Amino acid sequence: MSQFSVIGKNVPKVDAFEKVTGQPIYAADLKMQGMLYGKIVRCMDHAHARVTRLDFSEALKIPGVIKILGPEDVTQTTYNTGACDEMVSDKVGHLLGDLKDQTIFTYHVRHQGDAICGVIATSEEIAERAAAKVIVEYEPLQVFMTPSEAEKTGTHQLHPDKPNNMAFQLPDAMFPGNSYGWGDAEEAMKEADLIVEDNFYVNKQKQCQMEPHAYIAQVDGRGRLHCWSSGQMPKITHQKIARLFDMPMSMVKIHSTTIGGGFGARLGIISEPETCAMALAVPGRPVKVQTLREEDWIISESRHAGDYWMKLGFKKDGTPVACQARFKANTGAYFTHASGVPFTTGAWLSGMYKFGALGYQGESYFSNQAPAGAYRGYGNPQTNFVLEQLIDRALTQLDIDPVQWRLDWHKGVGDDGWCFGVKYPSCQLSECLRQGAEAIEWDKKVAANKQQSGVKRRGVGVSVMNHTSGAMPMLLEHTVTTIMMNEDGSAVVSTACSDLGQGSHTVLHQIAAEALGLEMHEVTLKTGDSDANGFDIGSHASRTTYVGGNSILEASDDVKKQLLDRASRHLDTSVENLEFGGKTIFAKNNPENSITTAEICRLGVYNYMDPETGEPEGAPGQIFGFSSHFAKHNSPPFGACFVEVEIDTETGEIELLELVHTHDIGRTLHPAMAEGQMVGGAQQGIGMALTEEIYYDDQGLALNSSFTDYKMYGSSDMPKMKVILVEDPDPHGPYGAKSVGEAGLTSPVGAIANAVYNALGIQFKEAPITPEKVLKAIKENGLNFA
Amino acid sequence: MKERMIELTVNGINLNISVPVHQTLLDTLREQLGFTDTKYGCGTGECGACTVIIDGEDSLCSCMALASTLNGRSITTAAGLAEQGLNAVQQAFIDQTAVQCGYCTPGMVVKSTSLLRKNPNPTEEEIRKELEGNICRCTGYDSIVKAVQQAAQSFPEENTQWDNAVELKTGAHS
Repeated sequence: MSQFSVIGKNVPKVDAFEKVTGQPIYAADLKMQGMLYGKIVRCMDHAHARVTRLDFSEALKIPGVIKILGPEDVTQTTYNTGACDEMVSDKVGHLLGDLKDQTIFTYHVRHQGDAICGVIATSEEIAERAAAKVIVEYEPLQVFMTPSEAEKTGTHQLHPDKPNNMAFQLPDAMFPGNSYGWGDAEEAMKEADLIVEDNFYVNKQKQCQMEPHAYIAQVDGRGRLHCWSSGQMPKITHQKIARLFDMPMSMVKIHSTTIGGGFGARLGIISEPETCAMALAVPGRPVKVQTLREEDWIISESRHAGDYWMKLGFKKDGTPVACQARFKANTGAYFTHASGVPFTTGAWLSGMYKFGALGYQGESYFSNQAPAGAYRGYGNPQTNFVLEQLIDRALTQLDIDPVQWRLDWHKGVGDDGWCFGVKYPSCQLSECLRQGAEAIEWDKKVAANKQQSGVKRRGVGVSVMNHTSGAMPMLLEHTVTTIMMNEDGSAVVSTACSDLGQGSHTVLHQIAAEALGLEMHEVTLKTGDSDANGFDIGSHASRTTYVGGNSILEASDDVKKQLLDRASRHLDTSVENLEFGGKTIFAKNNPENSITTAEICRLGVYNYMDPETGEPEGAPGQIFGFSSHFAKHNSPPFGACFVEVEIDTETGEIELLELVHTHDIGRTLHPAMAEGQMVGGAQQGIGMALTEEIYYDDQGLALNSSFTDYKMYGSSDMPKMKVILVEDPDPHGPYGAKSVGEAGLTSPVGAIANAVYNALGIQFKEAPITPEKVLKAIKENGLNFA
Repeated sequence: MKERMIELTVNGINLNISVPVHQTLLDTLREQLGFTDTKYGCGTGECGACTVIIDGEDSLCSCMALASTLNGRSITTAAGLAEQGLNAVQQAFIDQTAVQCGYCTPGMVVKSTSLLRKNPNPTEEEIRKELEGNICRCTGYDSIVKAVQQAAQSFPEENTQWDNAVELKTGAHS
């Protein structure tokens, strides 16, 4: 029997009942009295241009148009829609060269979709018609779309402080030689018997969360600014909006709506500034902004595409002596996460294998692409695509089995994790590799593939990854929890942790219920109210279960300490002599001397005076537990993914036959939700490897901003999947849990590429690996599979 | 703006309403009648978030139909399926943890119910085929397919326990 009552159980998701009937309120579902509608006029015909004429006169003639705001009608304070600027100290931000380079509306269009002005009208339809009547004339400017175009001499410079459009490189002051790693990789490389080296391109992938962004903002009678937002970082949104409009945080309230998926797209802010600016122009009236899908596609941040060079050196016996790499990320039109992603891309690289020496250079370049930002994995899938393929290329030449080599050389307990000095406290990657290889019948299939013939070719591939549970010590890791004990002993847990759908609120309920000895329904989570919830950095970096969970445990300990103190008084014995038994506290030396926690809570609130003794009936005061928790570790999880593919060498089509996903989870708090993260993550990793990319024409205009033209794996396309969760409780995680959120996406990327390599003997240096690329490569390599 | 009177039955309620002739059924449901359980995902019939059941069995993307052309028709949304308590599909979505962000869920539930009403015993392939027009970016579809299979098994009333396929294995150190 399990030692836990709710941990590790597939309890119903706390939001599931409402969701299956469609009752939760997403931002777009809100309707308010006197509501106006905002429509943002965006530049759709140019990727880089200057506005030469902006004329509202025709639009203002349409009945129902209330106001139109241009670039000069709103605050000139600049901001960064990302969140990295709020998560590092000013000193580090300065060293990194972080920029706040965005404005609410602009005369300088830096990417297709940049916002020019905002129309406020009495209906959505009128706002749309008026937006079409706004006259905007442009002077086109030189368009540049890639890092190599961006850094060319003579290219238009997007920001005066960033020569050659280089938005970021690892700063020398923090990373000597602008390089992250250990040892002298260039020197160490000279010792190698075998060197593999290549240039790769990683693709611009879109999160494609199902809910298009929508917002409402309103200034109330007291002048308070309210914003209904589906952001995944409500407290960061709170801070950013207050600062942008120069208001104290007490005069801004963020109401979090149900979040229809995020995957990074809702990290930081998106169109909250435009919506709030419009609301401030019409005090008292709520203003709603509904983003259209095609609009959402080009204005919200995507994954960083980029050019990735890597060089690996090995001894004949497989010993990895050196790794050198350089990632030139495409940050797009604005700074956003230009410093965060190129750092972590190298950090994940450094956390994986025991190279003798490693040197990684990370950079970001501006371009006229839509801004890049956070996307599930945050640099990790990019590294996975490149590193895992190059490893396999070397292993083919060394004639070493890919699973065995990874067993021999992956980092583990006691080694430095992705951030030096923070050592891995737990690691079950070897077990993941062994169980995954067994599940997919690795040895049998590798042997069979060597003998195959015909136009259809099969291949198996493996890839491993390390990730993180929260972003300490790189970024701030802080969550505040208060637990209010109701007078009947049930609990209200207040925290700003958001749930993007992954189930964090369910897991946080489980943790609180387990810690307090309560049933699931005796715990309520109070979230989504910036007036009530203390600080939380937001849902990102696979942190909510780990950091939010530990914060709840800390606050629960505070509650339990108070309960014990009071029980000691009620039962007239020492705290040391007391023990919890479910919802009862009893004396160890006399179990009949006991009191329920509900009774303690009741007496604390209804603290009447006993008329006979003149004394209060119990210890006075309602019990509140509190925690302002800073994460002490980041307990990285590992994982290994195994894939089998079948490739039609006449059509280039790659069919995924099977995907085995193993994960080093610490302890599983909710098996079905953990499995859901792995399977759902795989769907996105498959997309990155095989089908998903935003394509642009030569003028920088997006070609596939729709679900028809942007290809994602659907219900019929998904392979047979098996998820294996390998448990070994982590010393730091809540009940031993490590993260599972982002991990599911990462390792399928490299595993698929390696399976294709195993099938065809060809490596693909540009993701995604489309049928066109497969056919072209077969032809170029002069291969004949008939 | 030209309007047309239509008679529309939504979740069993008979309504006589005037709708702009160019208004989609999605907008009529959400904006005019307040049935916000039907979701806007793309507006172009690509994602299935706005799926509703029409005349009890077939499904359609409500963003692709003009309300003014649906005079006399009957519409069922996800909320309408739960009027006598959750239907078997909805219960199965909860049991199989087939719900994550929930935005595609009403459309998925409606589409799956439509499938099971037409074919109460579908193969896994038929289920996956039927759901091709409904995009979910959270689950990877496996839990949804399992939910439809569970619902099919217990259709209309049986309540079968479903064995979850996730495997928990003990690590070497524990």
